[in-house]
Amino acid sequence: MLLEKGFVKNGFIIDLSNAKNTTQLVFELSSIMEHPDVKGKNVCLKLGGSDLKQSQLLSIKALIESMDSSIAFIDTTSEQTEASAVSLGIMVSKVSDQDIQDGIVGTLPDEVSEESVMVKSEEISLDSSGQSEASLSSSHIETTEGIEDIYNEISAEELSEIIPSEDSEKTYFTKFAANEGLLNDEHSKYILLDTGNVLPEGVEENSTNTESLPTLYLNQTLRSGQTVSYDGNILIIGDAHPGSEIIAGGDITVWGILGGIAHAGNAGNITSKVRALKLNAIQLRIAGLYARRNDTLNVPYVQKSNEFTPEVAQIEDGKIVIYKKLRRD
Amino acid sequence: MTGRVIVITSGKGGVGKTTTSANIGTALAKAGHKVVLIDTDLGLRNLDLLLGLENRIVYTIVDVIEERCKLKQALVKDKKNPNLSLLAAAQTRDKTAVNAEQLKEICDTLREENDFVLVDCPAGIEQGFQNAVAGANEAIVVTTPEMSAIRDADRIIGLLATKEEISSTKLLLNRVRPSLIKSNEMMSVDDVIGILEIPLIGIIPEDTGIITSTNKGEPIVNDENALAGKAYRNVAQRILGEEVPFLDLDEPKGFMAKIKNAFAKLKVKV
Repeated sequence: MLLEKGFVKNGFIIDLSNAKNTTQLVFELSSIMEHPDVKGKNVCLKLGGSDLKQSQLLSIKALIESMDSSIAFIDTTSEQTEASAVSLGIMVSKVSDQDIQDGIVGTLPDEVSEESVMVKSEEISLDSSGQSEASLSSSHIETTEGIEDIYNEISAEELSEIIPSEDSEKTYFTKFAANEGLLNDEHSKYILLDTGNVLPEGVEENSTNTESLPTLYLNQTLRSGQTVSYDGNILIIGDAHPGSEIIAGGDITVWGILGGIAHAGNAGNITSKVRALKLNAIQLRIAGLYARRNDTLNVPYVQKSNEFTPEVAQIEDGKIVIYKKLRRD
Repeated sequence: MTGRVIVITSGKGGVGKTTTSANIGTALAKAGHKVVLIDTDLGLRNLDLLLGLENRIVYTIVDVIEERCKLKQALVKDKKNPNLSLLAAAQTRDKTAVNAEQLKEICDTLREENDFVLVDCPAGIEQGFQNAVAGANEAIVVTTPEMSAIRDADRIIGLLATKEEISSTKLLLNRVRPSLIKSNEMMSVDDVIGILEIPLIGIIPEDTGIITSTNKGEPIVNDENALAGKAYRNVAQRILGEEVPFLDLDEPKGFMAKIKNAFAKLKVKV
């Protein structure tokens, strides 16, 4: 560890102790991380009294690592945050005022904030399909565009075989297994749990624009027991193994096999979508609708990559509907 | 000398962590390396039984930590192999009697004078697990080809990934039954690796000899003829950096083949 008596070698101390909530914290952090002087450095996070769960801290760690930086240690007064850090193997230490006076703290120009970020997300939104996520760093943008490119390729290749439709998204995907109001239909891939709308009290269905928030970009495999939760959109490059949980305020996109629980739009956003190269989620939740994987669906132990069929799940007329790419055969 | 500290863990109970620890430890010691086995399963110790050393334990790991004896005094030498010793767990205490820092200190001291320190981890992901992995710099995850064991192994691999000190995590697939794999009743080795996505260090076939070996307190690696013993010896060689091909577990004779074979022999006799 590059830790010596409380200051960070080759790094920055980022003071986030004034953030009111996690979203603001992540937002501020990502705008600071965007600054070229911070990239590739060790950072020390001053988190003040914010209570962070293990999953939230994991998300923050991943965010920092996706910018080629690493967390040297965190400074927190919250017991919960400290416990989360310990379980994730992040060092907890104190930043003394002396360190700050000595000029180890990096001061960042004020301009690095919402303005520059917003411009970038607008640029992406101009993309034809309109389903891109707002991203902050250049590496994010590249990846998001990469996905668009591949979808576009698919559509170009197979356009002749697909019935033309007004909705641009439906030209890539065809409806294949919807609940269609038939609970316990043995042919549908997912069966709505008969829990009604299970949104917590006080939370109402909405269609918030989650694109204005930075996207959480994770380049890793989620293993059993690991959870990621975030208010905005989540993009995972890797598999989400059974036993893992992804909870997003916005969309969830998994560039791999989704085998755990996925909850998109957990704050009631009914426009949220779940996308995966292979949609095998044991439970699929969008806003207040919960669906379980059909028991009759014999999911093999191991998915072969040549069986990948990208799928999108979304809410239509109060049901979860899954769209699947047309097969050539 | 700085030895390697390897933790043997699994998440789920009963998949063969302790058997694996005893056998790999014995095999490494037989190959001429100094090995210490640490049993961290406080309150439910078994490693001493498998090695047949139960009656020789005077001091346990808790005695060392509470400074009732020196570390050297608590190491129980193996009956046959002077290279192998055991630091036994206390049977009368529970996991909270030890903390992670104390165990790390013990591992650090032991690795100075030994080539290998093998830590036998208890089942679960609580204090006992945290203690066992604290001093380790390598890990072997033991699993069987069952969904429940694999799910737990997946969880453990995720937890191990957050430990910076652990530089390599390898998979040991235990209790494999080739006949069941052939008939598609058991997950194949490839299936398991496909799910867990970590490098394999060994495949151990199911062997009824393990039961008698446990009861006798005699690790199966000492049995030159047992297939499981051979598989464990191969694992030890792989730990030492040698490239050993995985055992071909395809039983050449199925039931029908055996009968045919028997008839063929009869014919010769007639």
